[in-house]
Amino acid sequence: MPSNKVIAIRESLKSKLQPSEDLVFKEKFTKEKYLEVLYIKTISDEVVLHENVVKPFFETDSPEDFLNYLQSHAQIKAYENEQKAIDDVLRGEAVLFYQDHVFLFDCKVDRNNAVLDTTVETTIQGPQSGFSESLPVNLGLIRHRYPHTSLMVESTEVGRLSKTKVMILHDSKFADPVTVKRIKKFLGEVNIDMLETGEQLFDSLKKSNRALFPLMLVTERPDRVAVNLSNGKVIILVQGSPYAVILPTVMKDLMSSMEDIYQSYWIAKFLQLLRYTAFNVSMILPGLYVAISSYNPEVFRVQLALSIAGSRTGIPYPSFVEVLLMLFMMELLIEASIRLPKAIGPTATTVGGLILGQAAAEAGLASNIMTVIVSFVAISNFVIPINAFSFTIRVLKYFILLLSTLFGLVGVVLGFFMIIAYMVKLDSFGEAFLSALQSKPGKQ
Amino acid sequence: MNDRGGRLLNRYFLYLVLLNMFVNVIIFVPKILIEYRYEGAVMGVVIAVPIGMALTYLYSTAMNQFPEQGLPEIVEQGKHRKLTILFFGTIQFMWFTAGLITLIGFIDILSRFVNPEMPKLGLLGIYLAGIFLIIQLPTQRIMYFLEIVLLINIPLISLIIFKAFINEYLSWDSILEVGTHIFTRPSLKAVAAATYCFSGYMNLIIFNRLIRGKLKIWNFTAILFLGLFNLFTTFLIPIGFHGSDGAQEYLYPWISTSDSLRLVYSPIERAIFLFLMFYMSITLVSVSVHWHVAYELIKGMFKGKISKKKNGLILGYFTVLAVLGVIYFNSLLLNRLTVYWMIFRLGVEIVIVAGFVLWARRRTT
Repeated sequence: MPSNKVIAIRESLKSKLQPSEDLVFKEKFTKEKYLEVLYIKTISDEVVLHENVVKPFFETDSPEDFLNYLQSHAQIKAYENEQKAIDDVLRGEAVLFYQDHVFLFDCKVDRNNAVLDTTVETTIQGPQSGFSESLPVNLGLIRHRYPHTSLMVESTEVGRLSKTKVMILHDSKFADPVTVKRIKKFLGEVNIDMLETGEQLFDSLKKSNRALFPLMLVTERPDRVAVNLSNGKVIILVQGSPYAVILPTVMKDLMSSMEDIYQSYWIAKFLQLLRYTAFNVSMILPGLYVAISSYNPEVFRVQLALSIAGSRTGIPYPSFVEVLLMLFMMELLIEASIRLPKAIGPTATTVGGLILGQAAAEAGLASNIMTVIVSFVAISNFVIPINAFSFTIRVLKYFILLLSTLFGLVGVVLGFFMIIAYMVKLDSFGEAFLSALQSKPGKQ
Repeated sequence: MNDRGGRLLNRYFLYLVLLNMFVNVIIFVPKILIEYRYEGAVMGVVIAVPIGMALTYLYSTAMNQFPEQGLPEIVEQGKHRKLTILFFGTIQFMWFTAGLITLIGFIDILSRFVNPEMPKLGLLGIYLAGIFLIIQLPTQRIMYFLEIVLLINIPLISLIIFKAFINEYLSWDSILEVGTHIFTRPSLKAVAAATYCFSGYMNLIIFNRLIRGKLKIWNFTAILFLGLFNLFTTFLIPIGFHGSDGAQEYLYPWISTSDSLRLVYSPIERAIFLFLMFYMSITLVSVSVHWHVAYELIKGMFKGKISKKKNGLILGYFTVLAVLGVIYFNSLLLNRLTVYWMIFRLGVEIVIVAGFVLWARRRTT
């Protein structure tokens, strides 16, 4: 018969866990033994429980043998305190009451453990599969690609209500210990109720909780994680999210694709050049159009200036209205094609992009050159390999557009350099956002 | 990124000097030199080179004895607190006015050549927004920003200078003609203006925080050759384009010179717009560097970290003087004032360098 202490624990646990449909409390008897089990069946694996606990219980004769069995089982641990036991039950562990002992048996079900294909950061060649939504599987994927004893894995919990399990990985040989300490401190201080995925930490990185630039890299690729580990970065994995967070992040990381190391040297360099050009084009071009067509048409050679002015002859409003109108249309189109079901997506792009653009020019709402510029801007924006960063640029171009509407060419140039100054100001865990080299441990 | 340049060439030191060489076009150096081209400007330039180099060498080697420290950190433990406050309060004005003249001069250029219809105060507004964003950054970050700006802009300015040198309308005869006046007694105004090209070293007063390791002889050699090339270009290329008599007709000789250049195959045909875009960013960063020095010196007058209110007061002081400057100075008045400012600056520089070298020697021995 169980002792009073165990009964007290049992009753207390049962009262704390509100009676719900899927809460199971079972008693099992044999001639010599008496076992009670408490678990939530929707998140615990009953087959595992049956195989590892119930079957041996009925197969073992002497009570001492079964106790020894329980104590030596790898997935069974002793009861520590009530709060921890409740937390564990809510995560899918089972509580075993046996004689004078209370045990916790790990029989969690991991339902989202399928490895997904990469959909956001696709490459032509190289590995094609990403992470799964299960933390142990993800850790396994990384370990598989990074088999080193220096790989340190620590875990913590983030989120007041969600208590999401978060793992911090780094290579102790390469990572800067100061940075690692900073990142752990940051995770300990994150003030958030529900943590579902690493992207939610974007805003927490800033003191004001309002960020424009992504100061961390969120990736779905295990190969990127492995490469970054070897560069001394720190990785954060969040339970239930198929994305890993890489810290500290500088602009160079946000502009790099895994393709850079899968392609040959000159091709990779060419692609990088293309990306940086696209970054500038997509940020500056709308503003430049306004500045040149409304303030300083004499900047361009006369033929070009005339052809821009000529294409604007029928337009009944100033150039910044025209740009805003077309950009607004483009933003709607992009948003629509993200939200639409995959089957209709291409239709929206065709209708919007081709027909609307053509029709707007013919109806005299926008000049032909404007249509070209808007599509140029949109396409350049998509060249940025990291999605979060390309969204940032989508917003930044309006800043330059505003300044160019107010100040003309001066606004474009100064706006561009103000953005650079702002980026110079940013840092991610002590790493300057625009730095070109990864800092190494031991150096300031 | 931090400690790579220190071996052969300290690039941060070079950037500071280079920045002043670029910005002399805005701060009337070519105008002053061309005005005195028959009255001692050539000899003035020749004399300015050794003066500038000597000041650079003395000051930077003295500063080099306090690695990674700006002046506020060096005198922090000193006993004469009141003297320090007085000293900082006085000399910050030199840097502030240097920035102010550049700013007012360039806003004048912008309203002449780019935005004639816009009120000057509007242009001042956007510049101040950018400058205030930059000067409050840590010194290290300003250096990063300066590096990026130079990296973006140096190909542009190299193209323009290259185009100027190979231009068929560049008359070498006019340049030689001005060269024949080399033995005229040098004019003080021309010497003062020409030494401005070298005076970027003065920013070390704060930017010495970033200089680690000894400055090598290579730094000074590079500055010597860059300075010679820069003075030659600044002074003589406009003369080559506009003739030895015609060049003095222009208030901004270099802007007009760049308007004489045509890029035949480029969509931007007139080089003046490339030139002005280049100077938009160079002015921004130059004024920011100068004002950052002034800002840090004023901050050095107070103990510890300054409060938000004091910070606001410093920026307010900058804003008020800049607005008054833009309202009251027209370009001719500014030009005349700058001439005297240049002489005053040269005097102050010599006093500061001599004083600092002696003081540093007494302190270290």
